[in-house]
Amino acid sequence: MTEFDEEKLKQALREAADGFTITAGATERILDEALESGDADEPSRIRSLVERTGRMRSTLLAVAACVVVLAVAVPLLNSEVTPKVRSALRTVHGESLPTGAKSANPNAAVLPESEAQILGLTGTSFIAGTSNKDDQGVTLTSSAAKSGKSSTNGSAEASDSSLRVEEVGTIFLTVGSTRFESTLTQLTDFATTDGGFVASTESHMGTKATHMYSTGSIVLEVPVHNFTMLVDQVRHAGVATSVMTSANDVTGQYIDLQARISALQLSRAQYLKIMSRTNSIGGILSIQDQLNSIQSQIEQLQASLGLLNSETTYATLTVSMSVAGHQVNPPLHPATGVDKAWHESLHGFAAGFEWLVRIAGPLLFALLVLAALLLLGRLTWRATERRRSRMS
Amino acid sequence: MSDAVDVDELRTWLEDGYASSVRTAYLILGNRPDAEDAVQESFLRAWKFRDSLVTGASFKPWLYRVVVNTCNSKLRKEIPHRTRRRPDDDLTDVVTLEDPIGRVSLSNDVMTALKDLPTHLRIVIVLRYYADLSERDIAAVIGRQPGTVKSRLNEARSRLAVHPALQSEGPSPINARKERHS
Repeated sequence: MTEFDEEKLKQALREAADGFTITAGATERILDEALESGDADEPSRIRSLVERTGRMRSTLLAVAACVVVLAVAVPLLNSEVTPKVRSALRTVHGESLPTGAKSANPNAAVLPESEAQILGLTGTSFIAGTSNKDDQGVTLTSSAAKSGKSSTNGSAEASDSSLRVEEVGTIFLTVGSTRFESTLTQLTDFATTDGGFVASTESHMGTKATHMYSTGSIVLEVPVHNFTMLVDQVRHAGVATSVMTSANDVTGQYIDLQARISALQLSRAQYLKIMSRTNSIGGILSIQDQLNSIQSQIEQLQASLGLLNSETTYATLTVSMSVAGHQVNPPLHPATGVDKAWHESLHGFAAGFEWLVRIAGPLLFALLVLAALLLLGRLTWRATERRRSRMS
Repeated sequence: MSDAVDVDELRTWLEDGYASSVRTAYLILGNRPDAEDAVQESFLRAWKFRDSLVTGASFKPWLYRVVVNTCNSKLRKEIPHRTRRRPDDDLTDVVTLEDPIGRVSLSNDVMTALKDLPTHLRIVIVLRYYADLSERDIAAVIGRQPGTVKSRLNEARSRLAVHPALQSEGPSPINARKERHS
């Protein structure tokens, strides 16, 4: 292993550098030139600036980093939760609103009325009947078909023979622990009194001592024109923590079905007339095939029409009940494993994309600011270097 | 009166530091005329901006700073653009008549190794081993942190260490030459 010989280097450097004689008269020339050039210029403070070059660079970088962080963070924080959305969230997570209400209909957003107008959402609106007026809100559902029409209007129009409107609604009701069964009976009475019936009932009853709780859901079907009244009655049967209704105008679909059925019936009549004049067996069989096909189509369309007729004749109201202080399970459309995973995946993708779009603006701004700062720093650095080299 | 005092001050500077500055610049630039030009320019600038020398601060590092900056400027702006090399002595052409035991050969070897170093490493080596400045002073001269100086010195040493003329063990070229002469 060899080592570096410092002494040898020193010696070699001395011998190389001291190996020549300094040109005579060089110092005198410098003195003469110095005298000719005059007095010193203004005192320069560049040196101290130059000495702090490393510190300056660090400071500049720190300032740039702070600006970038602020530029990204402030807009994000501001846009994250606006005050209006905060008030909407307060309504959703209100003290009397069960958590099941939120998950029962993920497409529904509970917003104040003014917020709904700002966002330009359309659909029906109902007030969540809580004891606190501040917590009252408007529930808008994506399935609402008629813009700007309330459920009341929808019911009125449904009663008109020219309009076909199907109405559905969900009410989350909280009742006292002693009134659970009586309320259930009361709801059944409401439906029968209004000319309707109970489609299904599901209830779980228990006591607090065994850590069981009472929940239930009841699906009521009433004539469309009585729907508003039923909703009003149900709301007052307990504490309604969430009311969601939607009206869907299916008039066009109804008329279309009727027209298609009429056309097919006419066609069937024509074929029957032709068959009565045909003598050949082949011709009769061929027409018979056509008639069978037409008859099948007519029956399908009539079934659809009947279903639509039923849906527009009776409105469906699902009432989820729970004892005050206990949660209620979401009664509607319980998601299966794959379905739930798929929807969560979609929501995750949308949320990620939304986040990217949201961050793109501030990030672009931050990059621009950073670029400007770097340019400024570079110019300052170059100016300092130039002054330093001029000085030295 | 004031001018006379200043010129006296400059004369003192020249007496104290001109020769060492020229030799230092020579080791950095590798060319004697360039070194003299650079030092002349450095002294004139130093005298012109003499007020920038902080009262009580050491003169030597400050002067070396000016010299090194002028050398850097020449290496960056003048020398690379020269179409023809100056015919005067170069680092590898250190030859004197009174060199019976091969010292000039050693110098030539070391100078070749020094010339192969990048400029920023050559400067710290020259300042450390010829000007005999401390790492702290070198840091002030080149306007970097002492840690940077230490790192550059280490790198320069490791590069020079592979040169046979600077190895402390084994037969070096100079030793071999000495043996041959004897």
